[in-house]
Amino acid sequence: MATGLTEFLDNFVKNHDNRQLLAIPLAVLAVSLVVLLVSFASSGSPVSLGMEFQGGTQISVETTDSPAMLEEMYSSYPLKDARQTGSRVSLQFGVMDNEEQRQLEEDVMGRYSNVEIKQIGPVYGQELQVQALQAIFISFIGMSIVVFLIFRNVIPSLAVVLSAFSDIIIAAAFMRVAGIALSLGTVAALLMLVGYSVDSDILLTNRLLKRRGTVEEKVSRAMQTGITMTTTTLAALVVMYVVSTFPYLIIPSFTQITLLSQISIVLIVGLVADIMNTWLLNTGILRWYVTKPEFRGRYNR
Amino acid sequence: MSDKKSIFKNVRVIVFILAILASIVVIHPGYNSAEGATTNLNYGLDLEGGSWLQIKLQGALAQVDADPGMIVSQMVEPVIGAPIQVTDNNLEVDGVSSSDRSLTFTTSVPVSASQLELLDLGSVSVDRLNQETTQVTLTTSKESLIQAYLSKAFDAEVLPISTEDGIVYEIRTEATEEELSALMDKVGGTILKNEDGTSTYKEGVSTDTRDLTRDILNDKLNSLGLKDIPVRTVGEDYILIDFAGIDLATAKDIAEKPGKFEIRIQTTGNETQHVLYGDSIVSVGIPTFHDNQWHTPFTLKEDGARALQKVAIETGATDSPEDHYLNMYLDENKIYGAPLSYSAASRLKETPIYSWEASTGTDDAAKTEASMLQIHLRAGALPVNVVLVGSGHVDATLGSQFKTEAVIAGLISLIAVAAVVFRRYRRPEILVPMVGTSISEVIMILGVAAAIGWQLDLAAIAGIIAAIGTGIDHLVIITDEVLYEGKLPPTKVFVSRIGKAFAIIFGAAATTIIAMSPLVVMGFGSLKGFAITTIIGVFIGVVVARPVYGVVIKELLEAKGNGTSEGEGLAE
Repeated sequence: MATGLTEFLDNFVKNHDNRQLLAIPLAVLAVSLVVLLVSFASSGSPVSLGMEFQGGTQISVETTDSPAMLEEMYSSYPLKDARQTGSRVSLQFGVMDNEEQRQLEEDVMGRYSNVEIKQIGPVYGQELQVQALQAIFISFIGMSIVVFLIFRNVIPSLAVVLSAFSDIIIAAAFMRVAGIALSLGTVAALLMLVGYSVDSDILLTNRLLKRRGTVEEKVSRAMQTGITMTTTTLAALVVMYVVSTFPYLIIPSFTQITLLSQISIVLIVGLVADIMNTWLLNTGILRWYVTKPEFRGRYNR
Repeated sequence: MSDKKSIFKNVRVIVFILAILASIVVIHPGYNSAEGATTNLNYGLDLEGGSWLQIKLQGALAQVDADPGMIVSQMVEPVIGAPIQVTDNNLEVDGVSSSDRSLTFTTSVPVSASQLELLDLGSVSVDRLNQETTQVTLTTSKESLIQAYLSKAFDAEVLPISTEDGIVYEIRTEATEEELSALMDKVGGTILKNEDGTSTYKEGVSTDTRDLTRDILNDKLNSLGLKDIPVRTVGEDYILIDFAGIDLATAKDIAEKPGKFEIRIQTTGNETQHVLYGDSIVSVGIPTFHDNQWHTPFTLKEDGARALQKVAIETGATDSPEDHYLNMYLDENKIYGAPLSYSAASRLKETPIYSWEASTGTDDAAKTEASMLQIHLRAGALPVNVVLVGSGHVDATLGSQFKTEAVIAGLISLIAVAAVVFRRYRRPEILVPMVGTSISEVIMILGVAAAIGWQLDLAAIAGIIAAIGTGIDHLVIITDEVLYEGKLPPTKVFVSRIGKAFAIIFGAAATTIIAMSPLVVMGFGSLKGFAITTIIGVFIGVVVARPVYGVVIKELLEAKGNGTSEGEGLAE
């Protein structure tokens, strides 16, 4: 996979000028921003907020009862959703008072086995929301500062930061479209993406600015290494996604690990976006930059 | 070629091997027929089974000012049912010693001292000047008056805390800025502003109060024989309690049920008689040092004070205090015992006493005892109002299932990564060290976790996978850098290539660590564990494991005939 993809991308990069290279990723970025903005305008939040950020209770139990039966059974509680995965049903409840909460928990625990419960109060959810946004913002700024310190060169650094920004925006837009809610797990994934996505950009920039050789040769060398890096990570993530999301296909009693499933799907999308952003967007900007006439071929020999 | 010195003389390799060995020793993998595979690793609740509660401490901190006379009118008039006139007030005059600070007022109706003492305004002296006029002098301070006023208004403890900027009042219950502002308005006061014009009002409680709450919870859980329940503070206003192996309903019972506090009095010999329970205690103060002794102050309710007076008189403790110790018990365990002081004993004959102090002695041990007593006296009643903001529960069988799944996911992921790497390089001498380095990184991360007693939960496992993911990336960078021309370069070039590779790797690692650090500092929920594990993993990888990969791969490629055979993906 890696080799074929590298060849394809390499040829694509060689056969198109910088403007053409930038067009695709910028278009995708623009579409993603529109998705987030529309969502923000219509629902007040760019991505849908999960239970952890809104408050509520999530209960998952092992049962052969159908979700409809459970829905019926717990209809007196603020039940929002009942969903079946393998031999388990997971129930989403809105905010309840302490008494109601307790009653529900006792009922569920008495009736079912292998119970998992998670409850977050609405006020704390609000606070988590603010903290999560802060964390993503601060970590992005921190990453940008490190990038500037590494290269001490404005345009290449901006290119790296822009491509990381685009990775995160595209991943967030994907979450919105695919209906993946922002949870602690997906926040973790977005943060991990901040760290991961710049790896191949740093490699590319480093090779292009600090190495001898023609620009074309340096780009394809960097691409070989970079695509290998990203595909190894993707391979690991795809496995993690499949095992944590569909374990019941192998062993029916096994349970989804929501946290790992969410982290891996968001990272997969983010890293696929990263392949595009690194090898089209960032490469386009850098190739234009290093062949600027005032450098007189300083980066191309 | 360089001298064929064994790579085992390389410092990095030695450090690496020692780190691996040390990790295995701390992890201490073992097997016994009863438990199966065993290790020293601690697992989080989501893997072990159990429940957790997260609670928020409600409170407010603010600097306020008020007119002492208006406070006294506001508080006294409803009690005596008549207006008062403040005739003298030196509370706001500079240079008056604290014992001389007082406020005097007159009123037309008769007033009893004990009636006013209940208001906690300070020490009261009442003079009947004539038929129409009663004069009352309160020896007190402005802070005490504000404290008493707020405490009554919010029906909660209020604590003045001295800070560099002045006195900050801690209101130990939910109090909005609007409520507080309206209350201060009634007594001619305001919430003060900081120098920069912002309000000094702040939601939350002081760190001391938060820690006291944590200690009380800890104490309570321990007194129930639940030794291993970690009670942690999270952020400024949150406390997180983990109940391993206990279900959610039981956990809530434990956390919500106060301990049983009782005061008993010695009758004859070892016999004791019940005096009062913890619900008769209104408030408990912070230990103070005066009269050469440490004291823990506490205040009794009306019924408690009367019960104590009655029992003290009946048992004869008021006549011979030394023979009738007052003992305090928490959940049936004796925690304190002392006789009544002679002054208290003689006063009890006349009137019930509301404000008490338990003295513990003069030295540091006494100080500790006084603060323990402060915790015990509260008997599990927390100093501040708390609300449950989050809770969770995972059944033990489900937890162990998660554990198995996580291990399976990890193993298959590793195989998938190995497959991709092999497809790219097609050389076992690259594949084996690469996979080996990754595995060794996992061992070392687990070693660190075992050594510091870190709890491995699902988030931490995600962190390990993240660290390994960046690890493989970095190993690919090293490999490609070393084999830039498709074959192993001479040693000199090799060294500079490794340097270049590490320039990239350090940059990449730095961004990952920086990107994760906000989570460590803000530390909300389980993400803190995720961030810390990722950072530890990346750090170990960059410093210990990945440099060794460079050394090993050189040796192996040299052994394979100077690496002249070209891997498929490396060809120009």
